[in-house]
Amino acid sequence: MLSRAASSLFWMARYLERAETQARLLDVSLTMALIDVPEDREEQLSVPLLVTGTQEVYHELYEEITPQNLIDFLVLDDRHPASVFSVIGSARDNALHVRGNLSADVWESINLAWMELKELRHKGVTESNASRVFDWTRERSHVFRGAAYGTLLRNDAFNFLRLGTFIERADTTARVLDIRHHMATKSLEGHPTQSFFEWTALLHSLAAFEAYQNTYGHNIEPMNVAELLILKRDVPRSLHACLQEIADLLEQIESGEARRARRLASSLYANIRFGDREYIEERGLNEYLTDFLERIERITGQIQKDYMGW
Amino acid sequence: MVMLIQTPPEGIYDELFDENNRVRPSCRMLENWLIKSDEDVLAEKRREADVLFQRLGITFNVYGEDQGADRLIPFDLIPRVISASDWHHLQAGLRQRVHALNRFLFDIYHDFDIIRAGVISAEQVFANPQYQPGMQNLKLPRNLYSHIAGIDLIRHNDGDFYVLEDNLRCPSGVSYMLENRRMMMRLFPELFAQAPVAPVEHYPALLGETLRAASLKPNPTVTVLTPGRFNSAYFEHAFLARQMGIELVEGADLFVRQNKVYMKTTVGPQQVDVIYRRVDDDFLDPLAGNPDSMLGVPGLYAAYRTGNVVLANAMGTGVADDKAIYPFVPEMIRFYLGEEPILKNVPTWQGRKPKDLSYILDNLPELVVKETQGAGGYGMLIGPKASKKELSHFRSLLKARPDNYIAQPTLSLSTCPTFVNEGVAPRHLDLRPFVLSGKKVQMVPGGLTRVALKEGSLVVNSSQGGGTKDTWVLEDDQC
Repeated sequence: MLSRAASSLFWMARYLERAETQARLLDVSLTMALIDVPEDREEQLSVPLLVTGTQEVYHELYEEITPQNLIDFLVLDDRHPASVFSVIGSARDNALHVRGNLSADVWESINLAWMELKELRHKGVTESNASRVFDWTRERSHVFRGAAYGTLLRNDAFNFLRLGTFIERADTTARVLDIRHHMATKSLEGHPTQSFFEWTALLHSLAAFEAYQNTYGHNIEPMNVAELLILKRDVPRSLHACLQEIADLLEQIESGEARRARRLASSLYANIRFGDREYIEERGLNEYLTDFLERIERITGQIQKDYMGW
Repeated sequence: MVMLIQTPPEGIYDELFDENNRVRPSCRMLENWLIKSDEDVLAEKRREADVLFQRLGITFNVYGEDQGADRLIPFDLIPRVISASDWHHLQAGLRQRVHALNRFLFDIYHDFDIIRAGVISAEQVFANPQYQPGMQNLKLPRNLYSHIAGIDLIRHNDGDFYVLEDNLRCPSGVSYMLENRRMMMRLFPELFAQAPVAPVEHYPALLGETLRAASLKPNPTVTVLTPGRFNSAYFEHAFLARQMGIELVEGADLFVRQNKVYMKTTVGPQQVDVIYRRVDDDFLDPLAGNPDSMLGVPGLYAAYRTGNVVLANAMGTGVADDKAIYPFVPEMIRFYLGEEPILKNVPTWQGRKPKDLSYILDNLPELVVKETQGAGGYGMLIGPKASKKELSHFRSLLKARPDNYIAQPTLSLSTCPTFVNEGVAPRHLDLRPFVLSGKKVQMVPGGLTRVALKEGSLVVNSSQGGGTKDTWVLEDDQC
């Protein structure tokens, strides 16, 4: 397939996954800000900014961190590329580029999301209807995924699209886990009563709350959470699950000559697959995740070089 | 509420009503449906169609208009019907005409027979800005130049079809023909159960066949070349590529090495044999045409000259659809085919001829004046509708650059009942069938019907607020 088309499909899927992430993160942060002790409110609200690396832009545009400001900034603001509005707009731009490779259903799912979002933006989003907008964003993401799985030919176009999804997901899980795990651990010392909510916030941000309960029961243990989100293959957003997909997809994608991206991904996948919680504990979660993020970035750069770097 | 259909003004051919305001036999089924339909239901269907078109993203951009981005071309629910016998006549005429035009293009780049015979002057061909001297003596597979032609027809008040314009470069609009049909079948499936409407859905298959036949290779790699998503017809380019199952490429996706064209793929370079290009001649290769073109492929022209790639349509076809060449098409048909033209041409006065020029200047308020290079309804004057200021403006334009203009009598385009704010009223329309030349000349029964939505307006171009209708060619007039 065309290199440019592969790149557009990859980014289209990344952006749509990012929209879903934004909605989850923001939803959790706003809820947490309501139940958290007042002095920690700002820290709660800052999480989505930390994950997306947008604190600086935010402070250029807004003075205070308030729920409404945060909603304006992360949902509707088109002055920076990380808002749901910008992200879905970018996804649609990429989709337009590869309309020839998309089924009518997939194209319509994205185009409709864009049209509805413009309408939502016109009406405005406030604290009181924000949850509905987050639900809408998640649903749109599900519809896109459903349309993609249900109607696309299983070829390299499909593989590049999925590759985008899982690279984005691996990246997000690592970042959210890093930031929220640290916050929750800290709260164990400061506000032990609060800490249960901190752990559930982490799990909800990555749609893994039920998965935790199923695996470990009600007691929330910091290392269990890390193990779940890194090593458990059956959790859809775990690093293990994402890397397995990435390595698999790179195996399936037709390649003319030896590809380095394939080797890098397989090696990272092997590290996680045969890794254990003792190793993570020994190394320290933060260091482990920082290293992981660097390697994901290297793989992404290599994918672009190998397949799209014309 | 029951539908009221306004009857057409006198002296105008209406596609539904005859001169005594009786419904034409081929339209009885349609009229029957229309008068039985509930106005509110139809209004609801119109809204549904709008939403569906928006969702599909069938939108277009108007050049030089900012908020024109993502605009819908208005779609009218009432189809335009063409009887089986009319279509039979049109089809034969279109085949003949496109065949002669392709012969003409071959001739003016090879033997110049028509010039030697004195039918057309050398100056008119060679001095035409669309003439590409580089195409001389280039051997093209099957001697074909215009693989895809869009011929604009209108029906005059004498009931006859006239060719208004030949489009031999990159005619667009065929996606609307296909989507309009899909929309009608979705909104009114029951209508199609009753009416023997000829199918058009196989157009992409025929186009694919035509493009593959443009190369003499057994299994050529075919692509669609688009200027990109900001082009007003981008939707159509993507639509056709998807329907044919071939890659949609932009200039930056292609490169030329040793006079061969390749596309950049995830598994390395892949050679391209046929390019269905929707980019104008001048922008195809910055080394040969416009040096600032970001849309083209450096070296493409050299590859083309070497015969390593086929362009559809060929370079230099614009000379044959120029408005200054148009008056000679009937002569071409006689000259190359030894046949009488089946389709009529509109009588045309040429600004370049002193006698014609003075006729034009004397009769300006009755004439339609067009730029020979113009398209899309820009740069034209409709005498009877023009203000004094516009008339005097065109008078000075004509005097300054007479060879830039031709003039034609103001034809009364036929009308067809159309939904408007006041209900259902007659509006003027034209027809653009698409003619494909490969191993043989083929077309699907139908075309794009454009309709001027303003009362009395004769400008059907979408860039000027025109709309479209589904076009029904009947398989059988007995219904």
